[in-house]
Amino acid sequence: MPTKKEVFEKIQVALVDALGVDDEDVTLEATLVGDLGAESIDFLDIVFRLEKGFDIKIPRGELFPEDILTDSKYVQEGKVTEAGLDELRKRMPFANLDQFAQNPVVQDFGNLLTVADMCRFVESKVEVTD
Amino acid sequence: MRFEGKTAIVTGGSRGIGRACVARLAAEGAKVALIYHSNQEAAEALVAELASAPGEVRALQADVRDFQRAHEIVDSLFEEWECINVLINSAGIVHDGLLGAMTQDQWRDVVETNLGGTFNYCHAVTQPMMMMRRGSIVNLSSTAAEFASRGQVNYAASKGGINGLTRSLAKELAPRNVRVNAIAPGMIETDMSQVVRGIAGDQIKKIIPLKRIGRPEEIAAAAAFLGSDDAAYLTGQVLRVDGGLSLGGY
Repeated sequence: MPTKKEVFEKIQVALVDALGVDDEDVTLEATLVGDLGAESIDFLDIVFRLEKGFDIKIPRGELFPEDILTDSKYVQEGKVTEAGLDELRKRMPFANLDQFAQNPVVQDFGNLLTVADMCRFVESKVEVTD
Repeated sequence: MRFEGKTAIVTGGSRGIGRACVARLAAEGAKVALIYHSNQEAAEALVAELASAPGEVRALQADVRDFQRAHEIVDSLFEEWECINVLINSAGIVHDGLLGAMTQDQWRDVVETNLGGTFNYCHAVTQPMMMMRRGSIVNLSSTAAEFASRGQVNYAASKGGINGLTRSLAKELAPRNVRVNAIAPGMIETDMSQVVRGIAGDQIKKIIPLKRIGRPEEIAAAAAFLGSDDAAYLTGQVLRVDGGLSLGGY
């Protein structure tokens, strides 16, 4: 059973390998897109590495909800609708969407997800000890 | 030997162009898994024939339309080999007919085998190739994708789709050093083309600048080039290997 520290360290390795960043860049507060420069192909690579690293299955869209953000049911004129925000909250209970919800511009979504969110996501999938 | 220590998967590997690709890669040292659908005898005969080749060959049965099976096969090979260097999507069928008389099954079978099978195996190798930060995918297309023939709406659509898939996937995977290219063969001496060649007769040679039908081994040579490090700076291309057929003109 990994500790929370071990979960973070494994995620750090996955992000360093996937994004080509340095260890010290990967802090809990760092955003994947804004701070670490992740693009769509990187998200896929990160999911693959987390699946392998933690021996878990991550259904596509569970960690990075591209399907919601590209669905005209949930996005109108470049902004996520209320229905879309509801879907995001359901899909991503590990992330804090309050600030994004104040002005939910799709293009800004990438700056939402932090390394800490990813840790909480993985912790919801594996049993951890403190 | 360009593929010594390397591994490859070839769909449609028991006959025609796929068969020639298997033989070429094995001759150049690769461990090759050939995927066949129904002709077990031909697949096993090829494995036996190549027993003394520098590489190793094994035959695995699968219907390329089966997404789950594609993943089972690739995951299992990746676990054993620890890398997948080359994927050649050669599995393909024809079922010609004018569109107005074409059944849904004719349409579906050809598109789901040719294009769907290509999608399934590309999907399956994406994860291992991305994680290894290297790999080469070679998709077998056809000059039929761009140069129209009557009675091949389904085949042309499937091969046109392969061209589009190839280019788009090349863009996606380039940041991970995975190259994706296609080969568009012209008229090649295979079982699959024998009906068309029979109907066209010697007339077909008159419109081919090199004045002859191509051989599967010549397509395999192009596939080996694209799969190898000799093509390290080449991605997103559809290479026409057609004796000049697509030049048109006079």
